[in-house]
Amino acid sequence: MWLADLIGGLAVLVLGFAVVFFSWQLPYMSEYGPGPGFLPRWIGFGIVGCALVVIIKVLRKHDKSGAFFKPLTKMGVKALILIIIAFLLFPLLGFSVGLGLFVGVSMRVMGKHGWISCGITAVVTAIAIHYIFAGWLSIPLPTGLIGW
Amino acid sequence: MDLLHNLYTGFTIALTWTNIFYCLVGVFFGQIVGVLPGIGAPTAIALLLPMTFTVNPTSALIMFAGIYYGVAYGGTITSVLINVPGESSTVMTCLDGYQMALKGRAGAALSIAAIGSWIAGTGSVIILMTFAPALAKFALRFGPSEYFALAAMAFGLLTVFGGEQPIKIVISTLIGLLLATIGLDIVSGLPRFAFGMPQLLGGIDFIVIICGIFGVAEVFNSIEEPEEGELIKQKMRLRDLFLTWEEWVASRWAIVRGSVIGFFIGMIPAGGITTASFLAYLAEKRYSKHPERFGTGAIEGVAAPESANNAASISGFAPLLALGIPGSPTTAVMLAGFMMWGIRPGPLLFQTKPDLVWGLIASMYIGNFLLLLMNIFLIPPFVAILRLPYTIIMGFIVIFASVGAYSVNNNIFDVWMMLGFGVLGYVMKKLEYPIVPLVLALVLGRLAENSLRQALTLSGGSLSIFFTRPISALFLCASILAYLTPVIRWAWKSMQRPKATVNT
Repeated sequence: MWLADLIGGLAVLVLGFAVVFFSWQLPYMSEYGPGPGFLPRWIGFGIVGCALVVIIKVLRKHDKSGAFFKPLTKMGVKALILIIIAFLLFPLLGFSVGLGLFVGVSMRVMGKHGWISCGITAVVTAIAIHYIFAGWLSIPLPTGLIGW
Repeated sequence: MDLLHNLYTGFTIALTWTNIFYCLVGVFFGQIVGVLPGIGAPTAIALLLPMTFTVNPTSALIMFAGIYYGVAYGGTITSVLINVPGESSTVMTCLDGYQMALKGRAGAALSIAAIGSWIAGTGSVIILMTFAPALAKFALRFGPSEYFALAAMAFGLLTVFGGEQPIKIVISTLIGLLLATIGLDIVSGLPRFAFGMPQLLGGIDFIVIICGIFGVAEVFNSIEEPEEGELIKQKMRLRDLFLTWEEWVASRWAIVRGSVIGFFIGMIPAGGITTASFLAYLAEKRYSKHPERFGTGAIEGVAAPESANNAASISGFAPLLALGIPGSPTTAVMLAGFMMWGIRPGPLLFQTKPDLVWGLIASMYIGNFLLLLMNIFLIPPFVAILRLPYTIIMGFIVIFASVGAYSVNNNIFDVWMMLGFGVLGYVMKKLEYPIVPLVLALVLGRLAENSLRQALTLSGGSLSIFFTRPISALFLCASILAYLTPVIRWAWKSMQRPKATVNT
């Protein structure tokens, strides 16, 4: 956890410097008062200052116990991968079918449910998404090859 | 008389079949959300917000308010029966509620929580009715400097109430402010942090961020750290729900004290319902003649925090409606809803949209009454929800978050951004960077920046405008004091430490 904290602090520091850099390219003051770069520049300075405090605190910490990754982190990564795959398949399958499939596959992969219940849930979910969101709420969800 | 007339108008709006339906849906859904660990009121409202584009704002707001205070009721069930708080605001209820359940008094614990919440909720609505319009009248005097100072005070108070690591709270606040600056600058028309991407010129929509940072991030966190507890297998009969005379005597003043504490803490920007329940519990323990009973099943230990969290959830509407400043993440999400519907909450809301304000306030009486009935007669079905596999709940969250993010601009880019914010929220939580300051800063960012720029333009760039106007000076002093609190606390601890060493 100590290393993760340090990396986190460094990431915030980099973000702060980036904010300062990009805000420097915006006018700090305008004809009528503060310009578009006024607040972002101070936000950048603030982030840099706070990140330095975090880094110093981490470096001075004696207790280096605790782990960033936990036994079930793998499951979280699996969920993330499944979500990414579902999103990538949207142009092909459409929103309703893509998300329905996501629910079915995640039940199988992560919950170890039976194939039949996963399949039924996937189909019911896809139909429900289509009729509730696209039909009832009139949200123009992207459609895939089957027109859903 | 005005008050009664306004309340009458409110009831004529709240008691239409449509609004009763939305209120019922809200409290029912809130109760379910409260029961389910890993999904809170801001997440639920954020996920449902995009679905209400076409709904009447008053009805949608009545539903969201129902979710907000319904969650406080629902979280109690898991706190008492499985020792797992469904909501952070019911953490304190676990301490004595679960112990009561182990002693066979689960029904009494749930009853006193429902009754206390109802009394606190109804009492708070009455105070809100008189207080909020007065606050709105007072806020009519506010100019840009006051609004900036008020936002600064809200950010400052986060460092007092927000958690153990104030520096990380400040970083979260700054990141929220940074996200609010993305897009075209409304004064100069120059793009900021858009990096040539047309999708970013309009800024990142609040709903996209909130669906990711609350919804999807919660999925990852809940998968990694499932909150599991053993359900107390105890058959609950109707008569088990009745309190004994001793239990009622022990808890009646705890309800009153909890309600008062909850109401005031809920009104403070960044106070929140969790802080309210925590402080009410501590106050009750300190006040008690037998503090040693707390943690072993004292009914006052359930009554006080439960009353406090419900009172705070109601009073949290006062700064939102009267000032346009959210006091908690849930009201921050609701503020985003106001923006989505094209309504500007604040002092003028009471004059421009009295139907919305009074309809909402009147609906709180109805919602609290419905929740009281639900919590007395419908506990077993709500407990059954706990048996739902998390993979299915996760699926629903991802569906709502994806559709919600997409529906803002009908754009897949927003869905990917939502996922990105989900990962950011997960990492932030793991590294103990709190999410709430980011959300509050994100919502208040534009108001804060615009007010700051307007005030400095008016004063010709002089900062004196913030200190020469009394209200603004007061807010800014409170803000500075709040930011200094961690330093004072640290200095105080450092002074105490050598003494403690000498004593030992």
